[in-house]
Amino acid sequence: MTPASIAVVVLLVFGVAVELACCLGVLVMEDAYDKLHYLGPAAIVGPLAIAAAVVVRESLSQAGIKALLTAALLIVASPVLSHATARALYIRQRDHVEPYRRGRR
Amino acid sequence: MNAWLMAATVLLLGLVPCAVVMLRGSPVEALVGLQMAGVLESVVLVLLAEGFHRPPFFDLALVLALLTLAGGLVFARMLERWV
Repeated sequence: MTPASIAVVVLLVFGVAVELACCLGVLVMEDAYDKLHYLGPAAIVGPLAIAAAVVVRESLSQAGIKALLTAALLIVASPVLSHATARALYIRQRDHVEPYRRGRR
Repeated sequence: MNAWLMAATVLLLGLVPCAVVMLRGSPVEALVGLQMAGVLESVVLVLLAEGFHRPPFFDLALVLALLTLAGGLVFARMLERWV
C-alpha cells in the first residue's frame, strides 16, 4: 500500500467513525438542545475528512473540488441550521423571543 | 467492493438512529434527526460517487447539501409558528 492509500483509508475510517458517533449522540441525548450539539461535528469534521480523502486520491480535479465544495457547504449550513432550530425550540417553549437590550444580560 | 463503497454502506447504518429519533421524538427533535440524515446522505453520495468513479455524481451530493439547508430552514420556521 502506498502512503496515499493509507492516508485515504485512515481519513475514511475517521470520517465514518465521527458520523456514526454523532448519530448515536443524537439518539442517546434526551433534550433537543443536547441533540443539536451533535449536528456540528457531523457536519464539519466528518465531511471534511471524507473530502480530504477524495482530494488525496484525486488531487484537485473535478471530483476533488466538488467534494470540497460539498464539505464547505455543509460547514456553512450547519451553524445556520442549528441556530434556526434552537430558535424555533426556544420560541415554542416560551412563545416569544425577548427583545435585546443593550447592557442587559 | 472498494473502501469507498464499504464506507458508504457502513455510513447508511447511521440512518437508523436518525429514523428512531424522527419517529419517537418531539417535532423539534425530529427536525434534528432530519438534518442529521441530510448530512449523512450528502456524505454517502460523495462516497458513492468516488466509489463508482463517476465525478458527475458529486453534483447530487452538492445539491442535496443545499436542499438540506433550505428544507431545514423552512421546517424550523414552520415549527416556530404553526405546529
